[in-house]
Amino acid sequence: MADFQTSTHRAKWIFTPEELVGKYKAANQRAIQTLEKYGATLMEVDVDGTISYPEPQVIAKDNADKHSRPKPISIEEEQFMRVFYENKLQEVCKNFHFPHKVQATALIYFKRFYLQWSVMQHHPKNIMLTCIYAACKIEENHVSAEELGKGISQDHQMILNNEMIVYQAWILEFDLIVYAPYRSIEGFIDDMEEFCGINDDRLQILQNLLHAAKMEVDKIMLTDAPLLFPPGQLALAALRSANQVHKVVDFERYLRSILSRQSSEHTVSELIEFLNAIDSWARKYKFPSDKDLKHINRKLKSCWGLSSHDEYAIPYLEIVTFNLMPFCFVLMPNFDWFSEVRSGIRNRSTSRRGAQMKCNLYLLILKCMSFMYKIRRHIWVSWQFLVLAP
Amino acid sequence: MAEVDLSKKVADRYLKREVLGEGTYGVVYKAIDTQTGQTVAIKKIRLGKQKEGVNFTALREIKLLKELKDPNIIELIDAFPHKGNLHLVFEFMETDLEAVIRDRNIFLSPADIKSYLQMTLKGLAFCHKKWVLHRDMKPNNLLIGPNGQLKLADFGLARVFGSPDRRFTHQVFARWYRAPELLFGTKQYGSGVDVWAAACIFAELLLRRPFLQGSSDIDQLGKIFAAFGTPTPSQWPDMVFLPDYVEYQYVPAPPLRSLFPVASDDALDLLAKMFTYDPKVRISVQQALEHRYFTSAPLPTYPDKLPRPAPKRESVNSKVSDFNPNDGPTVLSPPRKSRRVMPDREGFEGNAYQGDRIDDRVGETRQAAGENTSRNEPVPMSVDFSIFGAKPPNRPTITSADRTHLKRKLDLEFQQPE
Repeated sequence: MADFQTSTHRAKWIFTPEELVGKYKAANQRAIQTLEKYGATLMEVDVDGTISYPEPQVIAKDNADKHSRPKPISIEEEQFMRVFYENKLQEVCKNFHFPHKVQATALIYFKRFYLQWSVMQHHPKNIMLTCIYAACKIEENHVSAEELGKGISQDHQMILNNEMIVYQAWILEFDLIVYAPYRSIEGFIDDMEEFCGINDDRLQILQNLLHAAKMEVDKIMLTDAPLLFPPGQLALAALRSANQVHKVVDFERYLRSILSRQSSEHTVSELIEFLNAIDSWARKYKFPSDKDLKHINRKLKSCWGLSSHDEYAIPYLEIVTFNLMPFCFVLMPNFDWFSEVRSGIRNRSTSRRGAQMKCNLYLLILKCMSFMYKIRRHIWVSWQFLVLAP
Repeated sequence: MAEVDLSKKVADRYLKREVLGEGTYGVVYKAIDTQTGQTVAIKKIRLGKQKEGVNFTALREIKLLKELKDPNIIELIDAFPHKGNLHLVFEFMETDLEAVIRDRNIFLSPADIKSYLQMTLKGLAFCHKKWVLHRDMKPNNLLIGPNGQLKLADFGLARVFGSPDRRFTHQVFARWYRAPELLFGTKQYGSGVDVWAAACIFAELLLRRPFLQGSSDIDQLGKIFAAFGTPTPSQWPDMVFLPDYVEYQYVPAPPLRSLFPVASDDALDLLAKMFTYDPKVRISVQQALEHRYFTSAPLPTYPDKLPRPAPKRESVNSKVSDFNPNDGPTVLSPPRKSRRVMPDREGFEGNAYQGDRIDDRVGETRQAAGENTSRNEPVPMSVDFSIFGAKPPNRPTITSADRTHLKRKLDLEFQQPE
């Protein structure tokens, strides 16, 4: 689909900053109302997109004094939560070596989803994974839910359960084709080749520019900018920032040449204004500190109606095993560890203590290996994912 | 638990009427849109049982039809989940082109044929302009609305194209409409495949029966070469490099006029250009629409003046009408097509081809190819039903069950990150 002009993306999913703030406020407000009514906010979702409110928590609701009641999180805190999981989303996609397009589509689905819902209502980790799965499906980059779930040691049924609400997202209305700036960057780079009349040795410089611009756009994709500007402008903004470092073209002259070649509704100064705005979004971008995250996470858990030891807490043992993984990898090719273990048992009498320790170590490795085997090739993804979860 | 049934509001909007058809991936109902009074067709797709979540075919259809709005493309009015089913609401279509071609009571004038072909190509041109390949063009997927408008439907195999070096599966289209490059196993192809299929439909309109009715992929190529001559390297230089290329015995092309005795010169010229072997030389849909065939006399008939099968009576028992072979097929092809019975093509051979699945065909091709190379002899050409007018085999289709399999098996294999 290469016609942005007539797309649902252009018609329905580019907002003004005021509209965006309004939507975030409304979503937050709806969650707060749910919290007041039911004492918890986490929604239950079924495969067919049926959503149910949490079980009203009557127990001790009236008796409890105001302070022990769960407190809703603020719009800024919601923003932090989204930022955190959007970063996670990029990480997971990179570890699976998904194409940029899948990553961008997943990010946009995630952003669109949380225009309608609050993170208090749907766990962003689950939604993030479902967005990735959905993006793979829509961009024809097929990964089975099971494989994806395994790769990050998450239940794949949860991914499937959320699929429908992600497509639907109240007013998402199945607008599934989204436009990412990556293709636009490639297009502009091709065009620059002609524009500068670049010869072979300069081609590499242009390739560097392409690479740098893609890195820039990765950053832009994490801000609200994709909901505010069309992908072509995001691409130009990324190219301009990359060009400031690489100094390949006179950018303003290039912008002029683009506009002169097509009947655009914008002037150069308008376009520059847009690019400046995108840049400022990228500059304003703030990643939450560990302290912030911890604090928000605690509040969120009480909103969700989960105690801190509940299912979303990361099991300590898993972290330990995961941390040992790279160690196992290093050892694996160097030892014929099976025979070592056996000889360790046989020679117990001679150097009993040392051998036993050795034996224990190998048994631990063995355990790790079998666990590792279970989750096979996505081990690195899961390792990073779990250790970094708040 | 308090339910937030958002979908109920949408579901209440449609008043369900009789069942129009039943297929592998759901039931199709006729319904009335209470908001507009419009008659619609609702495709109901079961959710929740599949291992891979929401049905792929349905998703492709939704995602593409949401963006493709054109008078010659079926309109997806709404999509919503409700009570464990995904509902796709389409505009209601009376019949399809296959029913028109098959109806012996209908006389199609050259102007009528021109009109049907023009609408087909217009819809296709719009898809190609938006970089979408239909990949399942056949008369049965060309639906005809109450005002005679022809619209492309069934985008379950369609996909976006245009990314450089992107590989696709070649197992697309019902066999009779498959372009020679696909039969030779190409994985990189473009809009030419839809043009070939459109040409087959054009020929079918002229002949009033499917033109190239191969019984296997190898036989299909045999049929093609019997009609247009075995392609020479000068005609199609890239042919010998295609993955499943096998050498065929050289057959000279019979004059096209002998195959289509009643067609006009302009029609034959356009047909020949659409049936060009080399996909790079094959005419594009846009060029085909600009061909003098469409501007020369007789001019295309206005859609509302086109002959159509007698309207289907309001059946009390929809089940009965489902099996009645004389009934015009009504709506939305996928659910019905597998069980469509052709009155004059029944018999042993009819059913023999029903079970012909993709797997079998792949095996067949391999086997035949192996035989060929070992004996170093060209594959013997089979008798051409379509040319000698014998009883043709039953129409092969790709059912949605096959498609999912095809999807997982093939696209995964050929995937290449862009």
